[in-house]
Amino acid sequence: MTRRHSLQAIPEPWDYNPSKWSQRVRICLVAAVATLIAIYMGLYQWRLIDSVWDPIFGSQSMKVLDSDLSHAMTRIIRLPDSILGALAYLGDIIFALAGSTRRWQDRPWLVVLFGLDVIPLGIVSAILVFMQGFVVHYFCFLCLVTAVISLLLVVLAYDEVWSCLLYLTRVYRRSKSVKILWKAFIGQATDIGLEVGKAMERGTDWRG
Amino acid sequence: MWARIFEFSMACWLAMSPFIFSHQERWLYANDFSCSFLLMLFSLLSFHHRLFRMHLFNLPLALWLLLIGFLAEPSFASTPPIQNYIVLGLILGMVAIVPSNCHLPPKSWR
Repeated sequence: MTRRHSLQAIPEPWDYNPSKWSQRVRICLVAAVATLIAIYMGLYQWRLIDSVWDPIFGSQSMKVLDSDLSHAMTRIIRLPDSILGALAYLGDIIFALAGSTRRWQDRPWLVVLFGLDVIPLGIVSAILVFMQGFVVHYFCFLCLVTAVISLLLVVLAYDEVWSCLLYLTRVYRRSKSVKILWKAFIGQATDIGLEVGKAMERGTDWRG
Repeated sequence: MWARIFEFSMACWLAMSPFIFSHQERWLYANDFSCSFLLMLFSLLSFHHRLFRMHLFNLPLALWLLLIGFLAEPSFASTPPIQNYIVLGLILGMVAIVPSNCHLPPKSWR
């Protein structure tokens, strides 16, 4: 059986290819904005710049970035929390750029890793930022912007992760074998994986 | 191959780090240069078609850089050279797992 498959295939349940470049580059651009904002706040926490711009809450931003909670986190993670955030957004970019336009099937581990970086981490970090008003009693405009971007990234990325999980679930249901599921997860071609992938195709997306 | 080029540029940054951060301790110089050399070696070897998985050897390097950061005294860990190690370790950990020729499907699918 030939294992060649169309790289522009549209997987269920969408009417477009969620792994196509235009989708992923969009995620990269949004994550790049968040990365730059987080680095800017990190530069303040590293004391490489004297203040942080905030058009709404003024000096409250600096109070948030200098809060006891922020210092406590720095002691644990050994890095300013903004820099850790910047690295998480950079991870979104790295994992969005890696893989073919059919990676939901041929490299599921990469899509799952990308999903873990974007979805749970994004939601948790957004909740933490939105809670800062209750915990730290101050607000930080740029932190709120990055939290909104995190949620936007979840919306932009979930489709590909969904197709990938659907593929893995169907491979397991069909094979009832953890070994074949593992092979599918690490991106090894199997006959069952190929059949499931073909069955999930709903056409071809040539829009790039 | 963009991931390998990214790793190579990180190795260049690591090689320049002693001059940028003006290290006070001699072992930091040795660590920067040896890690930089290994990082360059593994990422360049990954360009060879038979050694395309050599980049995975960069993972222990990433772990080593992180270990230095996490095992250092808190006051020392906040100094620029150690912060540099932690940031590079985390970035390298993410980049090193990206396969070479990752824009193509894995060989068994081609």
